[in-house]
Amino acid sequence: MTDDNTIKVSAEYLRKLEKKVEGLSALAEISEIISSTHELEELMNLVMERAKKEMGAEACSILFYNKQTNKLEFEVALCSDDSTNEMLTKTVTLEMGQGIAGWVAEKLEPLVIEDVRADKRFFGGIDKQTGFTTESMIAVPLIGRTGLIGVAEMINPRRRDYDQEIFKLLCRQFAIAIENALLYQESIRKERLRQELEIAAVLQKSFLPALPHFEKGNLRLSAITIAAAKIGGDLYDFIEPVDGKVGVLIGDVSGKGVSAALYMAKAVSDFRYAARLQTAPGKVFDEMTAQLGDSPRGMFLTAIYMIIDLASGSVRVASAGHPPFLWITGDEVKETSLLSGPPLGILPLEYPSTTIQLNPGDRLLLFTDGLFDAQDPGGERLGFGKLIDFVKGHRHEESLTESLMDYIISLEQGADRADDITIIDIKWQG
Amino acid sequence: MKIELTSHSSHIVIVITGEIDMSSSPELRARLLELIHKKPPVLFVDFTSVSYIDSSGIATFVEGLKGMMPYGGRLKFVSIPPKIAEIFGFAKLDKVFEIHGSMDDALRP
Repeated sequence: MTDDNTIKVSAEYLRKLEKKVEGLSALAEISEIISSTHELEELMNLVMERAKKEMGAEACSILFYNKQTNKLEFEVALCSDDSTNEMLTKTVTLEMGQGIAGWVAEKLEPLVIEDVRADKRFFGGIDKQTGFTTESMIAVPLIGRTGLIGVAEMINPRRRDYDQEIFKLLCRQFAIAIENALLYQESIRKERLRQELEIAAVLQKSFLPALPHFEKGNLRLSAITIAAAKIGGDLYDFIEPVDGKVGVLIGDVSGKGVSAALYMAKAVSDFRYAARLQTAPGKVFDEMTAQLGDSPRGMFLTAIYMIIDLASGSVRVASAGHPPFLWITGDEVKETSLLSGPPLGILPLEYPSTTIQLNPGDRLLLFTDGLFDAQDPGGERLGFGKLIDFVKGHRHEESLTESLMDYIISLEQGADRADDITIIDIKWQG
Repeated sequence: MKIELTSHSSHIVIVITGEIDMSSSPELRARLLELIHKKPPVLFVDFTSVSYIDSSGIATFVEGLKGMMPYGGRLKFVSIPPKIAEIFGFAKLDKVFEIHGSMDDALRP
């Protein structure tokens, strides 16, 4: 007897239904693993291990598609022998179209092969290398939002009655999870790099004088330095090497980034050491160029060092491949090119020192090339000539450096600054 | 930036077009060091079409020069346009590199 609520089903239907439920519960379990981690390696290992168990496979692997080389590389290989796994992930690559995985990657279609020996697409080279015997194989392309990520393979799966639809669904979900994990990994890497650069920038600043201005007797110094987006290598220093004298250094390290920051730190240390021992600025540079000579990648420092006598206003200057400074005296703005040597750290040369005499009211403007290399959004550079014109027009302004920076900012109109800008204003009251 | 290799009287000439800056100097470095590895007695660099060079570009040539010095190789710059000459002038690079007006000048004994 049956009542109206009872439904009769065939044993076949029930078996299919059970298979579906089984497949769905495996899918749910794997989905849970997928959402439990952002760590790429952990994600791939957990999912592949679980899928391998589900299919009763002897081994499994994931090959990643390398866009640069247009090849497939083993990213994960799971079989009972760890040395085989290591060998596959370290040494074996497949061309697009080569072997089953290459075919799947090229056609973007899954393949189920019951007997690989009967399939011409099978590449026996890997078995020869590993000593493993592949009999049957399931290979599925992993396709994310941005295209092919790679190929997932199950080797010698004992279970053949799995639900293909669920398997495809799983692979799709897995591909997106791998893609997300790759993006996550990339964002972590970028964040780490950003933090490193931030720390380097703070450390770099600590090598500059604590205060950007200095006053002693008739001398007034002020500096302004603005870093570009990347860490640059501008530096300056105000020191009192001996009583009655003030030293002013401005410099620019070649290149950017952490290497430039480290080089700058070394240059400042070398400078402070040499400046205490040598009374002529050229001699200080002789020491520095020897110290900086072994630097990698042709790195160098352009610099000007002045020692100002507080009693007389006489200035001893040495220049090492640095742009000329401007000397504002009376109504004149002079581009001051002194006897100069090349940048420090290139050749072991001797640097000359030149003496100039300041008059009351004179002003010296020292700067790095970021100032006249500043670009408008169209890429047009300010140039040295226009810089002099601007200074001529504003030479009597007390806040000349601020006006100059405002001028640069209005020229750039928010365009990315390629180089640091440093300006030192030296005023001699007499 | 574009790098082309030509030859002039059996010497290698590196012809560079465009800006040599932070983004392009790694490529220049790779090409230059590859050439220097073969220890050519002289390498010429034609600057005719270089529109800008920054300190990272100059450092690349300094590295090249330092690589040539131990075996007595010479790095010669030719045809430097006025804008680049200004940069080289500020940096006193004529004291570091051999600079010539043209290939013919550079080859004159």
